[in-house]
Amino acid sequence: MLALSSPAAVEIAALNKWFGAFHVLQDVDLSAPKGSRIVICGPSGSGKSTLIRCINGLESYQRGTIRLEGCELGASRKETMLARRNTGMVFQSFNLFPHLSVLSNCTLALRRVASKPKKEAEEIALHYLERVKIPEQAHKYPAQLSGGQQQRVAIARALCLNPKLMLFDEPTSALDPEMVKEVLDVMVELAGDGMTMLCVTHEMGFAREVADQVVFMDQGRIVEMAPPATFFEAPANPRARLFLQKILH
Amino acid sequence: MNFDVTFALSTVPTITGVMATTMSIAVASCAGAALLGFGLEIVRRMGRLPGFAMRFVIDFVRSTPVLAWLYFLYFVLPFYGIRLSALTVGVLGLSVYYSGYLAEVFKAGIDAIPNGQHEAARAVGLNRADTILFVLAPQMLRNIAAPMGNYFVSVLKATPYLAVIAVPEMLGRAFDIASETYRYAEPLTVAGLLFLMLALVVTYAVKQLEKRLLQAARR
Repeated sequence: MLALSSPAAVEIAALNKWFGAFHVLQDVDLSAPKGSRIVICGPSGSGKSTLIRCINGLESYQRGTIRLEGCELGASRKETMLARRNTGMVFQSFNLFPHLSVLSNCTLALRRVASKPKKEAEEIALHYLERVKIPEQAHKYPAQLSGGQQQRVAIARALCLNPKLMLFDEPTSALDPEMVKEVLDVMVELAGDGMTMLCVTHEMGFAREVADQVVFMDQGRIVEMAPPATFFEAPANPRARLFLQKILH
Repeated sequence: MNFDVTFALSTVPTITGVMATTMSIAVASCAGAALLGFGLEIVRRMGRLPGFAMRFVIDFVRSTPVLAWLYFLYFVLPFYGIRLSALTVGVLGLSVYYSGYLAEVFKAGIDAIPNGQHEAARAVGLNRADTILFVLAPQMLRNIAAPMGNYFVSVLKATPYLAVIAVPEMLGRAFDIASETYRYAEPLTVAGLLFLMLALVVTYAVKQLEKRLLQAARR
């Protein structure tokens, strides 16, 4: 599955992390080829959010390596910054900048990080706001939008820097049920465009439809990794089976 | 001795003659204190050692009387060959003294910003300076408009201290008139009312600013 000619989008090897005495990630190995869509699920406290936060340097780790397109994270400050620039992150709680308009939320990094002139930055931002289907909200402030709209702005903000990899940390968990779909629709579309995606979510419908691999984590370890058909029909791991029983009723 | 309104009014021009100086000193000191205080607070967050050093500086500044700062800068520094004008000492002294207090206000304002903001800034690749300037500082200001305004009024009310280093200012001028005429009630009342007026103007301005900032937040 892994093309030998070009490095994988994400290559994680023997990753270990401790929060004090708590061993939150234990020998995690994970490889995501370019264009792959991986859904990570597992009970709370299993380390799935921590794993995804390690990938764009929001969390440090003690042992192991993370390579993004062959570029090792943390090898140097410069490489870390580069890795981060190539990675878009969407948070559970949106984390939009409340003092900036929707448009400015999207253009801030374009102007300060990518050094684009104002006009070009705004054009790019509007392009992505159109992709998430809220260009008409561009001049509003985050507090004026619904949760679903805010999360779509957050996705647009992350897409603006043209990342090669998108990370989603429970993007729909903080949303009212009726808003989950509009966010998932945007993510499905994004997957259709060939974006490499790592997504922590409990939206099993999304996993079935979009993922090529489902990763199940428990107590800091990846205990099962399988294509959705296999994972949902016949999970090999008993804890995965138990987990699925609980969330698919 | 009755309060002589005509005499009181006659002292107004003399006292308001230095109002511009008082205001300039106050404005310059507020700006100086805010910049210095923000700098102290940012450095305090840069790690364990800078944090420790800045905490010491902030506590030191806050626990020394403002008069001590003025005397030190004006009378002690010349011994070491550093001669500053009375106005410079005035602005410097008030800036340094109030920077300690404002640093604490800024700290509260930054602490109140959710951690997610910091993470979002890092996730979109902003460097540290841009994160402070474009993400943290604007939200901090929104959180602290009211207490910061209090300190600005406080700076204004501290300008009479500068009389001890012969900076022309309103209360000192009023006291000069009193010493010459042996009438204390009128000039001191006039000076007091003028301070009240200026303080009310500053308070009103801060209220307006706060309202605008909060409106922006709710929009």
